[in-house]
Amino acid sequence: MDLVPQLLFTGIGIGAVYALVALGFVLIFRATNVVNFAQGEFSMVAAFLMVVFAVDLGWPYWLSFLAALGGMAVLGALFNLGVYYPLRHRSYLPVIISTIGASILLANTTLALYGPQPQVLPGWFETQGILAGGVFFDSQYLLIIGVTAVLVAFQYWFFEHTLVGKKLQATSQDKEMASLLGIPVAGMIMLTFVYSAVLGGIAGILVAPVLFVSIGMGSTIALKAFAATIIGGFGDVTGAIVGGLALGVIETFGAAYISVPYKDALGFLVLVVFLVVRPQGLFGERVAEKA
Amino acid sequence: MNVTRRAVLRGAGLSMAGIAGLAPTRAAFAAGDATVRVGMVLPVTGPGADAGRFALGGAKLALDAVNKAGGVLGKPLELVTEDDQTTNPGAVLAFSKLASQPDIVAFLGSIRSTQNHAMAPDILKAAKPVCFGGTDPTLTHLGNPWLFRFRPNDTYSARVIADYGIGTLGKKKWAVVHSTDAFGTSGAKALTEALGKAGATVALDQGYANQSQDFTPVVLAIRQAGVEVIGSYFTFENDLGIFARQLRQLGVAVPWVGSPSITNVTALKLAGPALYGTFGVADYAEDASDASRAFSKLYRDAYKLEPDNQSSWTFDAVTVLARAINAAGKTEPGAIREALLAVKGVPGAEGTYSFDGNGDGLHGYNVVRNDKGKMSFAKRVDFQD
Repeated sequence: MDLVPQLLFTGIGIGAVYALVALGFVLIFRATNVVNFAQGEFSMVAAFLMVVFAVDLGWPYWLSFLAALGGMAVLGALFNLGVYYPLRHRSYLPVIISTIGASILLANTTLALYGPQPQVLPGWFETQGILAGGVFFDSQYLLIIGVTAVLVAFQYWFFEHTLVGKKLQATSQDKEMASLLGIPVAGMIMLTFVYSAVLGGIAGILVAPVLFVSIGMGSTIALKAFAATIIGGFGDVTGAIVGGLALGVIETFGAAYISVPYKDALGFLVLVVFLVVRPQGLFGERVAEKA
Repeated sequence: MNVTRRAVLRGAGLSMAGIAGLAPTRAAFAAGDATVRVGMVLPVTGPGADAGRFALGGAKLALDAVNKAGGVLGKPLELVTEDDQTTNPGAVLAFSKLASQPDIVAFLGSIRSTQNHAMAPDILKAAKPVCFGGTDPTLTHLGNPWLFRFRPNDTYSARVIADYGIGTLGKKKWAVVHSTDAFGTSGAKALTEALGKAGATVALDQGYANQSQDFTPVVLAIRQAGVEVIGSYFTFENDLGIFARQLRQLGVAVPWVGSPSITNVTALKLAGPALYGTFGVADYAEDASDASRAFSKLYRDAYKLEPDNQSSWTFDAVTVLARAINAAGKTEPGAIREALLAVKGVPGAEGTYSFDGNGDGLHGYNVVRNDKGKMSFAKRVDFQD
């Protein structure tokens, strides 16, 4: 049997998760010029919230999903107020360290509240998937790919065709000019954190039925998403999507045809190659050209 | 709904009880009595934190039993714990912190072979007995006289996996799937040797890195190799769960005989039906002996949870260690070591302990089958060599 279609489907499915988390990285980077190293923990917290609502409390899945995303929106706002806002006039370094601290805090708070045992979150669908043409299409991966496509389309519409989206773009391009034009910069940055937390949360909830819900799930995904962001071009939305999908496919095919134990190394080897040969990534611009 | 919420609270309560329980049971002793202190390296954070919770639960049950029975050398036994963060550097640091306390007379090491390897040089320097649960056979052949294993090593698990797969299931063409850490690599090596001796062939030797998110390439390789049976050494239960599910999704239905992690409570919970019908070699099986049944009842009564090998080996280690210190009549490390080596025919939750000159206390495994999520005892295999 030809392995390629199965590997391609799985690679795109995993890549879509990386892409969703990478989108969160990119949006915050564009708005604040810092990397949020707690982006992965947003995914983990959302997955645990989903376990609390859907499994522990027995709420309907859709209601649990909305409640978890609501929780993530609140977390994003608090994160902005507690981690970014007090340091907004400092250089990027204290903010980055602050996000690393927040990442550790979120992981350990979840550990203290919920305990270390990995949890099972049922998938959205009853069926595990469908077999067609010798390829097993995992229903959860189908959902992940579909949701990613919808979110990318939504994001395009939002940023290009709505006033708020244009204000967000203006804020990310030049905060001072945006402020002079009457755009509420602080509010726009708040909105960016809220949206990024929700995006990370969606990724975490979608991938939880596949990878299980554990304290370490966020850092594992975030590391790959960070690599995807660099491959795609830091600060570029299209780059985040393409980088995420590319990394997922490279890893999966690399594991199948080169080495399973070194599949992560293959992904990071690609990252190193990009850093050396094309540090601005696939879609990024050279900093010198921006000036 | 509420049951799960209670489970959450119970989990937190267990942790707190575990912490509170680290203090010796003082009721039987005079206030101000000195204690005999034993250090314990265990994962409280990181991917192995769940295993650490089980390990602490087992150790604490034994500690309570020892102290209720009069303690050691007339003094209460006390556990002092350090978090190994489920990493090798974390384990080394944790052991160093404990080893720097001169009144600690012996230690409980890790269930993870790779961490015991990392700690081994410091253990040699500390020159005090360390009871551990890692199953890499080489650990007791490092020339380190202070290492005492409280689980059967992987030469035994490999032989039992091979014996059951070939002798009982009648399968000759194997896939060996294993993690690439010390545990998985040594287990796979031992299994390959055992299969070779029994005349079977390894059509696929497939390693994977811990914390993999996807096993599709591994499953497709198994399918392409056309194997009759799978033998496995998985380190982490979440990896095992993902592999099990993808194995079934991609239509691989061959028998699977796994190392003990396939029987762990967490693995059963995560993988669910994907593990139904699989076989596992288990150092701990509830119905293997009176001692294992007694431990099971004790653990269930205390924590309302199913025990597994992660708690049974620490239970045995504390129990046998206390017995050895009492037999030695003093806390001098050399005397405790000699007393541990002299342990013969002592029943425990994991089996009957008889230490050989290398420091291996157990020499056999149970075979169990997953009957719709319930582990049913198949047979016990002990070796004389």
